[in-house]
Amino acid sequence: MSTDYDDTSTDDDVEMTVTSLDAHDPIMQIHDARVTYDMDRGESRVLDDVHLELEREEIIGVVGESGSGKSMLASAMLDSVPDPGQLAGQIRYNPEDRDQIDLLSLSKEELRQVRWEDISMVFQGAMSSFNPVLSVKAHFKETLETHDHNVKEGMERARELLSDLYLQPDRVLNSYPHELSGGMRQRALLALSVVLEPDVLVMDEPTAALDLLMQRSILMLMEELQESYDLTMLFITHDLPLVASLADRMAIMYAFQLVEIGPTRALLDKAAHPYTRALLNSTPNLDAPLDEMQSIEGASPDPVNVPDGCSYHPRCPFAEEKCIESEPEYFLPETDHGVACFNWREAKERMSLNHLQARDDSGEQVRDTDDERGGEN
Amino acid sequence: MRSEEPLLSLENVEVHFENQGGFLDLFDDAEIVRAVDGVSLDIYEEDVVALVGESGCGKTTLGKTAIGLQEPTGGSVKFRGTDVWEARRGNADIPFSEIRNSLQIIHQDPGSSLNPNRRVKSILQVPLEQTHPEMSTNQMLERIYSLLEHVGMTPATDYAERYPHQLSGGEKQRVALSRALLMNPDMILADEAISALDVSLRVEMMDLMLDLQEQFSTSFLFISHDLSNARYFTEHGDGRIGGMYLGELVEVGPPEQVTQNPRHPYTEVLRWATPNLNLDEQSKDMPMRKIDIPDPVDPPSGCRFHTRCPEAREACKQETPQPQTIENVDIDHWASCFREYDNHEYWQSQPLQD
Repeated sequence: MSTDYDDTSTDDDVEMTVTSLDAHDPIMQIHDARVTYDMDRGESRVLDDVHLELEREEIIGVVGESGSGKSMLASAMLDSVPDPGQLAGQIRYNPEDRDQIDLLSLSKEELRQVRWEDISMVFQGAMSSFNPVLSVKAHFKETLETHDHNVKEGMERARELLSDLYLQPDRVLNSYPHELSGGMRQRALLALSVVLEPDVLVMDEPTAALDLLMQRSILMLMEELQESYDLTMLFITHDLPLVASLADRMAIMYAFQLVEIGPTRALLDKAAHPYTRALLNSTPNLDAPLDEMQSIEGASPDPVNVPDGCSYHPRCPFAEEKCIESEPEYFLPETDHGVACFNWREAKERMSLNHLQARDDSGEQVRDTDDERGGEN
Repeated sequence: MRSEEPLLSLENVEVHFENQGGFLDLFDDAEIVRAVDGVSLDIYEEDVVALVGESGCGKTTLGKTAIGLQEPTGGSVKFRGTDVWEARRGNADIPFSEIRNSLQIIHQDPGSSLNPNRRVKSILQVPLEQTHPEMSTNQMLERIYSLLEHVGMTPATDYAERYPHQLSGGEKQRVALSRALLMNPDMILADEAISALDVSLRVEMMDLMLDLQEQFSTSFLFISHDLSNARYFTEHGDGRIGGMYLGELVEVGPPEQVTQNPRHPYTEVLRWATPNLNLDEQSKDMPMRKIDIPDPVDPPSGCRFHTRCPEAREACKQETPQPQTIENVDIDHWASCFREYDNHEYWQSQPLQD
């Protein structure tokens, strides 16, 4: 925990190219992904040149508030942006045993095959993902048949998956969706989404609307699933602390862009973007002192009217002229940690992180990281 | 500081629902859902109590019973010494309308608790007209504007003219809060009142409620599934946290004690379920033998948590543990677990295995 970030870059803050954050063995490459909608009020850009590479078998958490474009990122990854949205950029998938697939150039039928079989998806609210008049078993069968899989073998796998998820296979398979509790339903959906043994699982708020205990249990099961099936997972949520316990890497989304990305620990303990730091400080934590919780002033921007320069500048305490004039590229506090902010050094120095202020035995607060040299802002 | 006399006193409260079968089940026995069982809890003036537990543990039913919206099937709910349901039947000194006004509620989803066809002004004016027919329109408006300012919605005259869809989630919840405050309540039940808000807005909403607790001397019964929010709210409000499992309170105590030194294994589970930004503190192993909560129709015998509890032994199946005060703590902190008994056959009996 003593890496001195100041040594890794010069005082001039040379902007590094984004490619240095890329994966060594990417299973998915999302380059300059942009989604736009034409509206009467003007062009609404709900995904703004997002660059993200998924390392094979990693779990990456994407965190953003409501209306930050995080669900659009999930849709873009499967080329399933709702009409009349326009998706531009490149989305490529690299299977281990086949040639690279360019998702945006596939025919409808080819795309249908890739979805679920190679890249699968779990949405929020299992009730609306299931057909209420079909039993759970029928869902599994239909999925296997539609994708020309051996139904008998597939059902064996389904049973195994269900019991891995702490469910009784017979009881669940013979139930209708409404007969299961919310947590059981969401786990059955998870089993359904991986029954075709996909490589990549994209999840959009897969545990929202469940209580914390069930959320945490499902996350634990996902981790086990990832290991036993060598899955690559992308987990989209508004709940930063929740996904932190699961993800290898995290990316923070603000106003339709990824503003910070890095290994989970770096993102929690050495967050560099003022927005990430504010987000961390607005979350009550079980062990952190309570008196310094602060909410973030202001509101996220409207997609038709995103501020010039850095889109966070109207809410940012460190904003200056250049933040309004130009859009920051990624700076690299560490080689695998990128942040789109000109003033990330200042943010780290002047905004202390509440959750790092551990307590020593006498009950006094101690500061335990290199970030906390400055005082309160 | 806490008053001597409790504002609200729940004694051995029991709420059982009869789960009536459909036409085809005509000849089956009706199933009894034991939503709340044997709960005793005192809430004082300017007090803050948070009820924490997973979905289906009965916390909402208990909350609604506490404010007189749900009739208990057993036990009593007393408001300043008067039985709420006796008052409702007209057998008490205090008129029921007074009790009803004193106990208010804020729901989880502010979107569906505000009438979409009415402006904020009228949403707030209607309940005033009902309860204060003697007030003039001007007096009412004055009151409404001042309340909106209190909850941070300025300019109040502008917000008062808006419809709910023109407000953000946080603003809608503020309107719901000011509607609850209109009656000068003694206690507000906040039922998952911040759960639907974005994470970054939750602290703001809790701070607002705490400010109002001081300004209006209101008590709060705060229902949440999130232990860290419950801790934030109760710590600042000088209150207590109650852990609830399958209709029973299993541990009650001051927030620091309950979150940092949980005594009941279920409270330990709630702590495990709460995400921690300090990754080193986050334990990976689930302190539970089963993920799913048992059916409240047929709750487990003895200690209801024994089917999932990692500490459960044979004795836990036979007998129900009674609340035990935790020694060496000056304020009231108790847990219902045999591990708090010095001498109990629990210590000699065999661990349960699945």
